[in-house]
Amino acid sequence: MRRHYSDGALRWRHADRKHGSSVQLSTSSSVKGACDTQGLRWLRTTAYNVLAIGLGILAGLLVVVYAGGNLGVALSSLFLNPITLSGGVQQIFVRFILFYTMGLGVGLALKAGLWNIGAQGQLLIGMVMVFVVYTFLAFLPWPVLYVAMILGAALGGLLWIAVPTILRVRFGANEIVVTILLNVVAINFAFYMLSGPIKSSGTALGFPHSVELPALFQIPNIVSGVPITYAVPATIALGVILYLVVERTPFRVKADTVGESHETAKYAGISIPRVMTITMLAAGALAGLAGATYLMGYRYELDIGSFSTNYGLVAIICALVGRKHMLGIGFASFFFAYMTIGAESMALSANVTTYVVFAMEGIMMLGILLGNYLTERKFAV
Amino acid sequence: MSFPLSDIITGILSTTLTLSPFYIFAGMGEIVSEQAGVANMGLEGIMLMSLMSTFVVDYMTGNPWIALLAAMGVAAVIGAFFAFTAIRLRVDQIASGLAIYLIGLGLSFVIFNTVYPSGLTPNYIPIQPLVTNWNTIPYVGPIFLKQDVITYTSLVLVVVTAFFLTRTSLGLRVRAVGENPKAADNMGVNVNKVRFLATLFAALTFGVAGFYFAGHFVPGFQTDVIAGRGFIVLAMVYFANWKPYRALFAALSFNLVYAMQNEYVSLSGFGVASVSTLFNMLPYVFLLALIPVFGRKARAPKFLLKPYRKG
Repeated sequence: MRRHYSDGALRWRHADRKHGSSVQLSTSSSVKGACDTQGLRWLRTTAYNVLAIGLGILAGLLVVVYAGGNLGVALSSLFLNPITLSGGVQQIFVRFILFYTMGLGVGLALKAGLWNIGAQGQLLIGMVMVFVVYTFLAFLPWPVLYVAMILGAALGGLLWIAVPTILRVRFGANEIVVTILLNVVAINFAFYMLSGPIKSSGTALGFPHSVELPALFQIPNIVSGVPITYAVPATIALGVILYLVVERTPFRVKADTVGESHETAKYAGISIPRVMTITMLAAGALAGLAGATYLMGYRYELDIGSFSTNYGLVAIICALVGRKHMLGIGFASFFFAYMTIGAESMALSANVTTYVVFAMEGIMMLGILLGNYLTERKFAV
Repeated sequence: MSFPLSDIITGILSTTLTLSPFYIFAGMGEIVSEQAGVANMGLEGIMLMSLMSTFVVDYMTGNPWIALLAAMGVAAVIGAFFAFTAIRLRVDQIASGLAIYLIGLGLSFVIFNTVYPSGLTPNYIPIQPLVTNWNTIPYVGPIFLKQDVITYTSLVLVVVTAFFLTRTSLGLRVRAVGENPKAADNMGVNVNKVRFLATLFAALTFGVAGFYFAGHFVPGFQTDVIAGRGFIVLAMVYFANWKPYRALFAALSFNLVYAMQNEYVSLSGFGVASVSTLFNMLPYVFLLALIPVFGRKARAPKFLLKPYRKG
């Protein structure tokens, strides 16, 4: 369709005016939305999310049945195995801690409109740092070394994300590109550290791995015999603290404004570099911290099996599904922890590769995004 | 054992030229797509699906050209789906791209594993080089004549893409809808149609890249076999400032650094990958180091990542 030129010029001005007022509109509509349509909107979002998750599960079941698996066995493995199988509960909480800690960081950066695709790399550096501190600061007395290992992991993640942060804030470089690049660098670096400086001199058989952390440096179970470590309440406490610090203070408005529009933030006198730096660095530190709780609370040693995981991506999904809300991410993380364990067990029950879980997660993520679109369309003013 | 310097240099240049088409093809597609305002973060997922199709179809038919068609077909279907979500449904491009990546990552191996449960496969039949007796000609042979037709096509594609974006009316429309969709719309350009075409073109190039990956990078299909190389294309496009010739330069120099460290590592024989992994980091660190140099002046298309709603 072709429009007449002068008409086009008119439309231009009109569009400009509309654009200019849209900033005010969006703030006022959110206030209005809080009163009447919020409940309905929440209901719709939840319904779509459930539908999306159902679709992902359906896709997984289809693959399993196609591969000759029994539907009943698949369903029971998916829903029941995570709690009935030995080690299942432990696995759920291990993943929950990973997803929640990393998801908090990803969500925090997302609030300020920044995509931390590099959570996986920061996690790896965090894991490496645990053993770097353990090996090279071994002269420290026990409680100091214990804390130093945890803080070292967080510091490692923070330093790793400092590169994209500086490049973003100082040079305006795209943080997505840099964090992606650093993921590859992190894998190579971790591999180097593992095959050299922090390599276990014990067994030379097979692939390189680190020493195993002695019991003194493991995070203990709360009740002996029940495989739930102190890391679980600590992670939840961290989430609540971040909720109080981020969601209940003016910082939320600052971050949201920076995420929404740099123009508006500038106009409101918000220091954009400061908000970006704080959220990015916190994201890196949190992902690094996840490395410490994972190693010290569950795996106890580092090997290349920890390298090729995709926990960083799942953390992004959790942050998106939790709608960047510090508590919402927690619920999303628990759900995805349960789901991934169940789906892996389902795949194994029918002799299907566990890679089907990635496809299921992708379908769920896409479905949730589409659900958001449908909700927004319904409630768009 | 001694290695003549000329052999080493020939080897390095040959590797550089062999590996680059993967990045060049995908880079040209991503440039066109991003110039139109759509960033496809799911490119590695599309490549994995194309690569899987390449292997499966090649094993079954023994004909690499049919495999190429299959790879491009699969890529086009996923690309069209991505375009639908990102353009028509206005879903966040980064999030839906990551979702496509996850689906591709999972599904590619699930399908491959279903077709070849034991992992045993026939031999992969690659495209033959145009000049079969390239070995007889020194220097020029191993560097230039050893390459297959895809390599030459990739170099032509750079010229074509640059010409297309700056000299043709459709190319100008592509840039217009990424730079200022409202103005383009007012000029009578169907914004979302142009964006859809650009995204589809990108998907086709990812298909070719996925096809090229087979044989040149890996002998067979495995889980997560592209291992982030697809994402590197995003970085190259960024450093290239969305310009085709610079993307060619980025791809060649990245692979040159890669080939040099590769040659050095294999010659010096570090044994079990200890120091060698440090050298493996070099190409990526090289790209990172380019940011303060080139990234400073990089200016993304103004409406990149922003969906367009008519009216």
